[in-house]
Amino acid sequence: MSTSSVIGISSTRWGKVLQNPSAGALLLVGVLVISMSIAFPTFPSAINAGNVANQMVFVLLLALGMTVVLITGGIDLSVGSIMGLSAGVGAYSINSGAPLILGLLAAVGAGAVLGLANGLMITRLGLPDFIATLAMLGIARGLLFLWTNGVPFIGYMLPEYYVISGLERPFGFITVPIIIAAVAVLAIIFVLRKTSFGRHAYGVGSNPHAALLSGVPVDRVKITAYVISGLMAGLTGMLMAGRTTTVAPTMGLGYEIAAIAAAIIGGAALTGGRGHALGAVLGALVLSITANAINIAGVSSTWQQVVTGSVLLLAVVFDRASALLRERSTRSAGRLAVT
Amino acid sequence: MSARERLVRIASIDGLPIAAALVAAAVFFTAASPFFLTGENIRNLLIQSVFVILLAAGMTYVLIVGGIDLSVGSTTGLSAAMTLMTIMNGAPWPVGILAGIGTGVVVGVINGFFIAILQINAFIVTLATLSIGAGALQVITSGTQLTGVDSETFLALTKGNILGIPTGLVITLVIIALLEWVLLATPYGRSLFAVGTNPQAAFLAGTSIRRANFSVYLLSGVIAGAAGVLLASHLNSVQPGLGQGYELSAIAAAVLGGIALSGGRGSVWRSLIGALFLATLSQGLQLVGVDPLWFNIVTGASIVIAVAFDRATQHFIAGQLRSLARKQSHDISGGGLEAEALRSPAAAAPIEVQPAGAGNHEITSGARNI
Repeated sequence: MSTSSVIGISSTRWGKVLQNPSAGALLLVGVLVISMSIAFPTFPSAINAGNVANQMVFVLLLALGMTVVLITGGIDLSVGSIMGLSAGVGAYSINSGAPLILGLLAAVGAGAVLGLANGLMITRLGLPDFIATLAMLGIARGLLFLWTNGVPFIGYMLPEYYVISGLERPFGFITVPIIIAAVAVLAIIFVLRKTSFGRHAYGVGSNPHAALLSGVPVDRVKITAYVISGLMAGLTGMLMAGRTTTVAPTMGLGYEIAAIAAAIIGGAALTGGRGHALGAVLGALVLSITANAINIAGVSSTWQQVVTGSVLLLAVVFDRASALLRERSTRSAGRLAVT
Repeated sequence: MSARERLVRIASIDGLPIAAALVAAAVFFTAASPFFLTGENIRNLLIQSVFVILLAAGMTYVLIVGGIDLSVGSTTGLSAAMTLMTIMNGAPWPVGILAGIGTGVVVGVINGFFIAILQINAFIVTLATLSIGAGALQVITSGTQLTGVDSETFLALTKGNILGIPTGLVITLVIIALLEWVLLATPYGRSLFAVGTNPQAAFLAGTSIRRANFSVYLLSGVIAGAAGVLLASHLNSVQPGLGQGYELSAIAAAVLGGIALSGGRGSVWRSLIGALFLATLSQGLQLVGVDPLWFNIVTGASIVIAVAFDRATQHFIAGQLRSLARKQSHDISGGGLEAEALRSPAAAAPIEVQPAGAGNHEITSGARNI
């Protein structure tokens, strides 16, 4: 990094900005906010900002867990299914008379256990991450369908649950889910930057073999990453169960795509060793703002998926261009250093 | 040949575990339900599985070069919609077929452009095109009712028979045979194995990595387009969400057939067996009276078992070969070429990556032919 910043394009301020892995997401957010604010005066309002923030909570929490998994070089396709099954566990616990806090804990715990199962399949059975979590996607979803027999859970909405899920807003548009998400972001930042697990995670993702030889407990790091991802999925499921007031067996279907998209837009890479919590925030923000923009612009919501896919494509093309730029400046710096 | 050597030979036969599992499942369901082994049931089973069989065949090509194509399901749905829409707007049915396959070509070219030319991760690119394709299908179907095509010839694509065999199945089998032949018997097919096993070595041997990558995504798109045409003919109606999840079934079929996501291994017939196994499970479970809700769980569990089993087999083969080599290097009379090959550690090492046996041969001859 120090050689690349000595000379060449990276020495300009723009060069530096463009080389940040999250630059694309930041640029997208900026362009979207400015163009939407000019075109639609209702866009830059406090109420709308609150809407965007409340919408992005679910994808943000999933993207945080996904970012941790991506950093270790893995991928978690099962978060959508884990979300649904954990919400089912929470709703069932409350319906069987457990107090709210126990129900919430049961959901988060169920998510962590399913994440642990992912981690064990990958490290103990040696399954590729993609295959193990693909199997979990099918199994967790199947279990929820089988358990509910296709009939949604209802009747678990205790009075406090309305506040926790953000349906009732005693503090204005800063809802409890937003506070929970903010705490989660800070927690993941802390875990990735200040704990040995965090440093090991980057090492395992960059070069698992070298990490193993340096004495990093690779398997334990991988398992922990999947447990964190499952835990986040459980939390998300519980918040969504409160928001929608029913747990349909299809809850969370397809959410893995949004979570992966947000993490990648935010600068995480499938090759591992890259990504950070604030990137996940930016990625979730991009997806949430585009959804909001489509809505405000009066475009039919059927276009939502097309736009999400295009934004994802745009983000990776930008990231690719920025990586090429980084490579070129490193090379030119190297050449100059030689001469 | 000792019993141990024979066991190693048997364990290294391509696609044996999944073929055995398919036979076992078929025997089990035949014993459990008198309706399983009836002409009508087998016919239904095969017609319903041609879509996943086709997609799995295209996926095989993509997996062999070490890529992945998540967009095939939504491309199938979109292609079906384009086919029906074209025919409903008064065009003759061959134009409808062209529209469907053309949709696949467009998606394939987009995937190929971003993955092979711009060198962006295949998972992300095809995830994005999955989203765009599924969204486009939703946009198309939200305004119009796509159903009720009355062209007899078009509907006969799946409802008719050729020599008593359903036309759709005949078309699928022809495509499958062609794909397997190209993969195993042409320099192009062998170059794909080379690219998937070691892209750098393949590049140095004169293979264009870019062309290999571009071609497999184009092929996968075209196959998805064809599957969409057949699906349109089979259902004669298109709903939003059509084709959703087919990509996972196709990947599952390929993985069950023993094809590695890491590339360099695979053949079309193994994916075919994998797809047939999934179809047999789904049909059989229903006949036995198991709630279809179980299907997701059984599929997921069988994927885990298949891959774990495949890994254990490879481990076993590599271990046995190593110990055989050790034994024979002590045994002076056991010289000869075979023992010579087994003795060197280099012979045992690549086997861990390439237990297919034929794999190494294919790569060297592929490199020679280019």
